[in-house]
Amino acid sequence: MNTRPALAQRISVASDRGFKYLMIAPAILILLLVGIFPLVYSLVVSFQNITMTEVDTSFAGALNYVQLFKDSRLWESLLHTALITMVALPLELVFGFLLAQLFLERFPGRQIFVALLVLPTVISPIVAGATWRLMFDVRFGPIGQILSFFAGEPVNILWTVNPSFVYPAIVVCEVWQWTPFMFLLLLAALSNVDQSQLEAAEIDGASYWRVLRQIVIPAITPVIAVAVLIRGLDLVRIFDIIWALTEGGPGSMTETISLYAYVIGFVQFDTSYTAAVAFLVIVILTAIVTIALRRMEMVR
Amino acid sequence: MADVRIAGLQKYYGAVHALKGIDLHVGEGEFAIFVGPSGCGKSTLLRTIAGLEQLDGGTIAIGGQIVNDMRPRDRNIAMVFQNYALYPYLTVYDNVAFGLRARKVVEPEIKRRVDEAAAMLGIGPLLQRYPRQLSGGQRQRVAIGRAIVRQAQLFLFDEPLSNLDAKLRDEMRGEIKRLHREIATTMIYVTHDQVEAMTLADKIVLLRDGRIEQLGAPLDLFERPATGFVAGFLGSPSINLIPARLVARGNGAAIALATGETLALPPGRTEALAGKAERQVILGIRPQHISRAIGGKMPSGVARVSAKADLIQPTGTRTFVTSHVGGVAVTVELGAHDVGAQGSAVDYAVDLNRSILIDPETDKVL
Repeated sequence: MNTRPALAQRISVASDRGFKYLMIAPAILILLLVGIFPLVYSLVVSFQNITMTEVDTSFAGALNYVQLFKDSRLWESLLHTALITMVALPLELVFGFLLAQLFLERFPGRQIFVALLVLPTVISPIVAGATWRLMFDVRFGPIGQILSFFAGEPVNILWTVNPSFVYPAIVVCEVWQWTPFMFLLLLAALSNVDQSQLEAAEIDGASYWRVLRQIVIPAITPVIAVAVLIRGLDLVRIFDIIWALTEGGPGSMTETISLYAYVIGFVQFDTSYTAAVAFLVIVILTAIVTIALRRMEMVR
Repeated sequence: MADVRIAGLQKYYGAVHALKGIDLHVGEGEFAIFVGPSGCGKSTLLRTIAGLEQLDGGTIAIGGQIVNDMRPRDRNIAMVFQNYALYPYLTVYDNVAFGLRARKVVEPEIKRRVDEAAAMLGIGPLLQRYPRQLSGGQRQRVAIGRAIVRQAQLFLFDEPLSNLDAKLRDEMRGEIKRLHREIATTMIYVTHDQVEAMTLADKIVLLRDGRIEQLGAPLDLFERPATGFVAGFLGSPSINLIPARLVARGNGAAIALATGETLALPPGRTEALAGKAERQVILGIRPQHISRAIGGKMPSGVARVSAKADLIQPTGTRTFVTSHVGGVAVTVELGAHDVGAQGSAVDYAVDLNRSILIDPETDKVL
C-alpha cells in the first residue's frame, strides 16, 4: 500500500531523467563527432607515417615527435609568432586604450566616427592583407608616394620583401585591423567606470596618472585581461595577413607556426608530421590559456 | 572656513532651464541645507558649487573669491557623494589618504590626520579593509573621513544618508550634526528628506522648480511659511489644506467651510485681512494644532468642529486620526489615548491662532 506511490514516483523520476539525456544526446553526439573525434584521430595520425604522396600508413612510433625537436624551421616559426604577438598585442592595447579615452568625450558625430573606426575589424583578414599589399606596393602604393613627398626624393622601400621592413609591414597591417576591437571593448569598459569616483578624485585633486593607476585601470582590468587573451590567441594563429603580404617570405623569415603547418601539410603533404606539429600547438595554447585563466582568477 | 555667495546663478541642460537665477549667501561655519522635491535643482546647485557642472550665468564666490572658471580641485572643497564613491581598489586607509597624497602631504602627517579622522568616526579597526568588505554605514563613515582629513574650507554633502536604512540614518544624522559642531566648517547639504533638513540645518534653502521658494531658519520656515508649497513640504504628517471662503462676521472675519461650518478668526488676524472678505482661501492647519475639544467654552481663536474618526493610526507615542472636515480628509495628531473607536464622533478644537491662509491663485500666504 505504502510502497506503491513511492515506486511510481521513482519510475517517473527515472524516466524523467532518461528523457533529459535523450534530449541532449544529439548535441553530445555532434560535439563528439566534430570536436573530439578529429582530435583523437589526428593524435593517431601523428604516430603514423602518412604522407599524401605514398600509400604507407604504418605506425612510426614517436618518430614524428622526435623530428619536432630537430626541426629548426619549426622553432623559428614559433619564434616569429611570438615576436609578432609580443609587438602587435601591446600596440593594439595601447592604441585601443588611447582611442577609447578620446571617444569617452561626447562630441557631435561621435557615433559615426566610432562606426567608421570599427570598419577594419569587419573585413576579412585576407582582404586586409591584400589591401595593405597594394598600399605597400613600391610602384603604385600610396605609402611609398607619401614617404617620397616628405623625403623630397623617391623612396623605394620593398616593404614586403626587404628583411628590415617585412615585420613592420605585418605589424602595421595587424595593428590597423585589430586595434578597433580593443577600442570597442575598452570604450565599453571605460564608459562603465563609476563617474562619481572620478568626480571624487577630481575634488581630491588627483593627477591624471593617479586616477588612471588607482581608479580607472583597476576597474577595467578584467576587460583588459579578456581582450588580451582573445587577441593573444588570435595572434598565435595569425595566417591570412602574412599569407597575403609576404607568404612567409623573404625565405621563411616571416613564417609563423600556422604558415609552417600549412606549408608542410598542404604543400609538402607531410600529413603525419603536420598532425604532430598541430599537437604541439595545442599543448602550447592550452598552457597559455590555463596560465591566463589562473591569473585572471587572481585579478578577481 | 569660508562663506559662499551665489548671485544670479543660471544653469541649463540643453533646453531644460535647471536653475533660474539663484541668489544665496551661506555664512562662515553655517550649516545650510538645500531641500526640495525631486527635480527641483538642489543637486544641480550643489554640483555647480563643487564645479562638477558648468554654470551658464551669474557668479559663485567661495571665501570671497569668484570660482566660476576654477576647476573643482582648486576650490579647496570636500564632497560626500550619495553612493559614497569610495575607490574600490584601495584600502580604507588609502581611500582616506588619497586626497592628501594627491596634494603631496608628507606621509607622517597623512598618518596623523587619517588616524585622527578614524578615531573621530570610529573606523580605526577598518583601516586595512577594502570598501566592499564594509557595511553601508561604515562606507558612509569612510566617505566622511575622506572629506574631513582634507581640512577643506567647504564641505558638500549630496544626499549622503539616502542609501541607509531608517535606524542607521537617524544615527548618522546625529553624527553629522556632532561633526559640524566639532570641526565648525561651512557645510552645504542636499536632501529631499524634510526631517533631515529640520534637524540639521542652521539655514534651510527650499527649492522648487529651479528657484528658491524660501530660505531661513528651520523653525521660521515651519511656522511662517511664505507659500502653501513650503507649508506643505515641511512637517510630518503634512499640513492640512482645506478649501474655504473668507467672510465678514460682525466687525471681525471668519472662515466658511464648504460644508457650512463657520470658524471665527482670532482678533489679531482680522485687521490684516480687512477688505478681503468673500474671497476664496485655503486654510492651512497643522495636525499638531488640532486637539480634542474639552469643556464647552473655547479659548479665543480656537474653533470647535465636530467630525467622525474615519481612520485611526496609532504610532505608540502619538495617534494620527483622519476625519473629514470641510469636505476634505484632515489629519489630526492626538495623544495615544485621546481617541475612541473608529467611526466614533469627535469634537476637535482647531487652533486658528496658528493657522495660515493661502491665496489659492498665487499660493502665497496671506
